[in-house]
Amino acid sequence: MKKDLISMEDLTLDEVKDYLVTAARVEEASLEERVKLLPGRIMAALFFEPSTRTRLSFESAMHRLGGSVIGFAAKDATSVSKGESFTDTIHTVESYSDILVIRHPGEGTGRLAAKESFLPVINAGDGSNQHPTQTLLDLYTIQKDLGKIEGLKIAFVGDLKYSRTVHSLIRALMMFNVTDFTLVAPESLRLPAHFMRTGQPGKFTFHETEHLEEAIRTSDVLYMTRIQRERFPDILEYEKVKDSYVLTAEMLEEAQEHMRVLHPLPRVNEIAYDVDKTKFAGYFPQARNGVIMRQAIILKHLGVSI
Amino acid sequence: MKNEKMLLIPKIDLGIVVDHIPAGMGIKILEIISQYEEIKEVPVSLGLNYESRRLGKKDLIKLQMEFLSPEIIQHISIVAPGVTVKAIKDYKVHSKVVVKAPQEIRNLLECKNPNCITNVEKHVETHFVSLGKDCKQVRCEYCERVFDLNELHTLVD
Repeated sequence: MKKDLISMEDLTLDEVKDYLVTAARVEEASLEERVKLLPGRIMAALFFEPSTRTRLSFESAMHRLGGSVIGFAAKDATSVSKGESFTDTIHTVESYSDILVIRHPGEGTGRLAAKESFLPVINAGDGSNQHPTQTLLDLYTIQKDLGKIEGLKIAFVGDLKYSRTVHSLIRALMMFNVTDFTLVAPESLRLPAHFMRTGQPGKFTFHETEHLEEAIRTSDVLYMTRIQRERFPDILEYEKVKDSYVLTAEMLEEAQEHMRVLHPLPRVNEIAYDVDKTKFAGYFPQARNGVIMRQAIILKHLGVSI
Repeated sequence: MKNEKMLLIPKIDLGIVVDHIPAGMGIKILEIISQYEEIKEVPVSLGLNYESRRLGKKDLIKLQMEFLSPEIIQHISIVAPGVTVKAIKDYKVHSKVVVKAPQEIRNLLECKNPNCITNVEKHVETHFVSLGKDCKQVRCEYCERVFDLNELHTLVD
């Protein structure tokens, strides 16, 4: 039976761990070994909205495995602009490829494609709903950089209200028994309360603060996010909070030795460029891990073992 | 005594009785049923505030039709789980089912999230899953948003 990757909510802890193990195997394998894994296989990358990192990362992953890629990077260049329905596009493209990777602004498009198509479907972001491959690569990065996930103290900084990356990662970390979260956000961008109602009273601690310095001192991972201009109906509201938190190299002097700064990218100005040269900067390796994790995902969903 | 009560609304030789409706819900359920095209020409009787051993007071609806579609039963079940739907033949109860709160609701409710794909591609059947046994909160299977059941509109009109 075909296997899709649509939502982190569908995955058990064992399944998540299996992605991490597969990614580690991908990373251990040589480039020469990897490129022999998927010759002749075709991935369709259907990007109905612009996305540089996710699309290039998926394409790079498929090429690294010896497969090839077809697809489009914006809906203007497709039959969708002629009025073709999403489901018709899926049914057409499934005849041309072996696996579908879909990014779409509409929420639930990954699930719909998975129901409609006989091919495995990977959700590469559906509106503000799910982006499971980002969450998996974040988990892989944390495990790789800090040796474990369980029991770590993780701080999230910036837009905790709208960031689907943050929401999805918090849920996944809870599965791994991460119980201590520090949340640094301006008042208007705090984490929605329902995330903190876990149904297991006393197990998880959510420490909310507006002070970034405190989070730097106490955390093992500082997960920074961009405050997204497009989320604000009122530009004045955006201007008020956009520079709330700017991390600089100087601020990191009080961080623990092993601490890592992560960011899903793109950054705007929430991480100063002088942080890039410090040992704490984990965000570019994180992007590199994205290609590793996506190779693991493609292999698993095409049923090819490594 | 019992027979006199039964005469308050007419007995039917062939039809459907929606019974054990909590008192006060009868009119709402009638409104729901009436939205469906297949009910439009059917003779219907509505009984309100009958004595009931189980409920104290109850409402009931009689429909002179042979078969109530699963869509209508599903629709009743989300509004008034626990009602009984009886099929009557030759003035006797031929079969009956107690309607339970559904765990899944297909193609009946409209997702409130304007960005949900079910609101963009109208041919896609909506699909909600109940988060508890009582079906008070449901989650859209597509966009994964959670809603209180009573804030969602139905697709039938």
